[in-house]
Amino acid sequence: MAKYIFNRLFHSVLVMFTISFIVFFIMFKAGDPVELMLPIDATQQEVIEMKHALGLDQSFIIQYGKFLENVAQGNLGNSFRYGQPALDIVIERFPATLELSVLAMIFSIILGIPLGIISSLKPNSILSRVIMFFSLIGISVPVFWTGMILVLIFSVVFGVLPSSGRGEVFLFTSALTWDGIKHLIMPVITLSAFQLALILRLTRTGMMEVLLQDYIKLATAKGVPRRIIVYYHALKNTLIPLITVIGIQFGQLVAFTIITETIFAWPGTGKLIIDSIQNLDRPIVVAYLLCISVIFVAINFIVDVLYTFIDPRVRV
Amino acid sequence: MKKLLIVLAATALLSSVCFAKDLKIGIASGALAMDPYYQNETTTNSILSNIFDSLISFDKDIKTKPSLAVSWANPEPTVWILKLRKGVKFHNGNNFNADDVIFSFDRVKNWDKSGFKSTVAMIESFSKIDDFTVKFVTKKPFPILLRKLTYVGILDKETVEGKSNEWITLNPVGTGPYKLVTWRKGDLIKLTAYNDHWRGKPEIENVVFRPLTNNATRVAAILSGEVDIINRVPVVDVARVRRNDKLNFFVKPGLRLIFLQMDQFREDSPHIKSPTGKNPFLDVRVRKALFYGINEDAIVKYVMKDFAIPAAQFSPSVVFGYDPSIEREKYDPKKAKELLAEAGYPNGFEVQLDSPNNRYINDSQIAQAVAASLSKIGIKVTVNATPKSTFWAENRKLNTSFFLMGWASADGDASSILDAIVHSYDTVKGFGNRGRFSNAEVDALIDQSSAIMNPDERLKYLQKAQKIALTDLQCFIPLHYQVDLYAFGKTINFEPRTDSRIWVFDISTQ
Repeated sequence: MAKYIFNRLFHSVLVMFTISFIVFFIMFKAGDPVELMLPIDATQQEVIEMKHALGLDQSFIIQYGKFLENVAQGNLGNSFRYGQPALDIVIERFPATLELSVLAMIFSIILGIPLGIISSLKPNSILSRVIMFFSLIGISVPVFWTGMILVLIFSVVFGVLPSSGRGEVFLFTSALTWDGIKHLIMPVITLSAFQLALILRLTRTGMMEVLLQDYIKLATAKGVPRRIIVYYHALKNTLIPLITVIGIQFGQLVAFTIITETIFAWPGTGKLIIDSIQNLDRPIVVAYLLCISVIFVAINFIVDVLYTFIDPRVRV
Repeated sequence: MKKLLIVLAATALLSSVCFAKDLKIGIASGALAMDPYYQNETTTNSILSNIFDSLISFDKDIKTKPSLAVSWANPEPTVWILKLRKGVKFHNGNNFNADDVIFSFDRVKNWDKSGFKSTVAMIESFSKIDDFTVKFVTKKPFPILLRKLTYVGILDKETVEGKSNEWITLNPVGTGPYKLVTWRKGDLIKLTAYNDHWRGKPEIENVVFRPLTNNATRVAAILSGEVDIINRVPVVDVARVRRNDKLNFFVKPGLRLIFLQMDQFREDSPHIKSPTGKNPFLDVRVRKALFYGINEDAIVKYVMKDFAIPAAQFSPSVVFGYDPSIEREKYDPKKAKELLAEAGYPNGFEVQLDSPNNRYINDSQIAQAVAASLSKIGIKVTVNATPKSTFWAENRKLNTSFFLMGWASADGDASSILDAIVHSYDTVKGFGNRGRFSNAEVDALIDQSSAIMNPDERLKYLQKAQKIALTDLQCFIPLHYQVDLYAFGKTINFEPRTDSRIWVFDISTQ
């Protein structure tokens, strides 16, 4: 186990090193941030001074070397645009994104798995058909449309839910205040629509496959109650592929809350990263992608460990 | 009895909460820093103008008026003596005096990351005469010094001195009518009234600025009553806002001119294919043909949904230097074709029009409409719309033959555009002149005008420079001025300003 963790850590560092290099290089090639920071009529002298102040007058290799040197000291550099440490800016906005993604994931799981099971047991019943119809909508309707329609109905027409913002925040999260919860409802539903439908459909397919297997027939023949067969024997075997997908999807949620955050003016990292890319704010983009890769690495690790609990044949 | 008192007290408390004058403002972009010298950017300047005072300020029509300076004299053309306001206190109770002014100008001029260096570039030196008098010396006679001073918010020396730049940008301490309560980046900026402000106690007690960058989100927020004011109402949603009987809709002509500029100095321009092999834009008749051949009225009507004003000159009438005698000439494709034929291009030519696609209102659609218009007079235009980060980088490298850009004469004086874009590109002026238009007579007029202290006399020079550059030589093609669109609740008294800033001190509720 220790060796496994060590290997994993080593790989992660390598991944992050590569990511930082690629991002650094792309941002270096993408254009000149100083051009966007100074007015059009700035003198050549001002441009040179600003470049020097930001260290952008150096060659790529030297800039990247400086960056690595600073990273070794735990410093990811100051944002060009905000003038503050890039990592602080990213971390300051991570709780908002995490809370949205975690809640959306929980919501999708606690609704998606039971609904998937229900629709797999009697695939031709009316209830199953209704469930499948809505899951089709969830899979195919684009996020911005869902978001805007919710806003139109619940904020503009009925005025029961706030259309945007995070509301009152207590201890890094808005899920602990009533005002905050009201602000969370629509973004969470919007963000989870696709995930919910995906998990539901995967559960259904998995269950339908597993329920045809011989050991289920054996269990039935042995007289094991239907409830235990479905929720213990069958579900456990359906869960393995599901957990992989949920893991990947969670990473996707954290990294791609951009649209939801934009619609609901949610102050998370998604909006930050779009703005920063547009403004060529390299330190923030690099810091953000490094944070995201840490999260992905962590999720993959957790998924691997979870396997061993669900399927004892799997060893790390 | 005791119970009754408690109920009464609670009611009183509640009603005071209800009637507390709070204002929520949905803005199209957020502030970048709370350090007034870091980024010279419209929204940041707008929000910080509520926290920091400058020596001089603009009224709502960008005329200068006293602020922290109460009076000034200009004994010699390059020397300005400013008397400072007495009894002014910063938000933390510190006194305002000449030391704060000297400290502030030292930082705005010399800090290596200052975004306002060009604003104060003409100031040679500044010194303290006594606690409430300062002296500014300019490099040359500089008639618009006072306009430039409106951009420099005054910091408190005692608070800021010795602090890191990271600290300064999170802890704004000014003398303005509002002080910062919280800044949750990307979410909200909360300000509260500074009751000891020298202009008097502000009417609105608490202000929340919320960056709602998505157009639909911003409109939903005002329609649902979550915010009281929004700026930049998207043109497609104007009808919905107007239909709502709880909202006012306000159109304020802005300062930004949208125009087309073209390569006027290279025989062989990078993105032109002409039958003669030469750069057609070198010929004034071709430039005129473009002006007559673009149906600007159609652009305003269909692309801008009537929310833009066709431009006949460099800046709108509120700007000093405006010439009432110049009117926009009519769209005349026939005349355009004649001019083209005269210049030797009866069958037109091919050119690429570069345009940003995320900088100005409907920028890439305007470029498309221009291309459609010009195709009717035989000029084949391909539109190359790119994000502003790419656009400006290529533009500075002059890797363009024909491009769309905008300019706001934000200090309210025509010298802004004349110096930056019309003057020949040299070591001191013309840095935004990416078409490299150059005319000795125009340059002379601009240079002379910048040293004339008498406004009437100066106006003549500015107008003459414009007449030659634009009417005679068509140095670029003016399209239209953008307008600012606001929506706000019927119970709010709010009059938008020409400089697009939201100055909360002048807002009140009924």
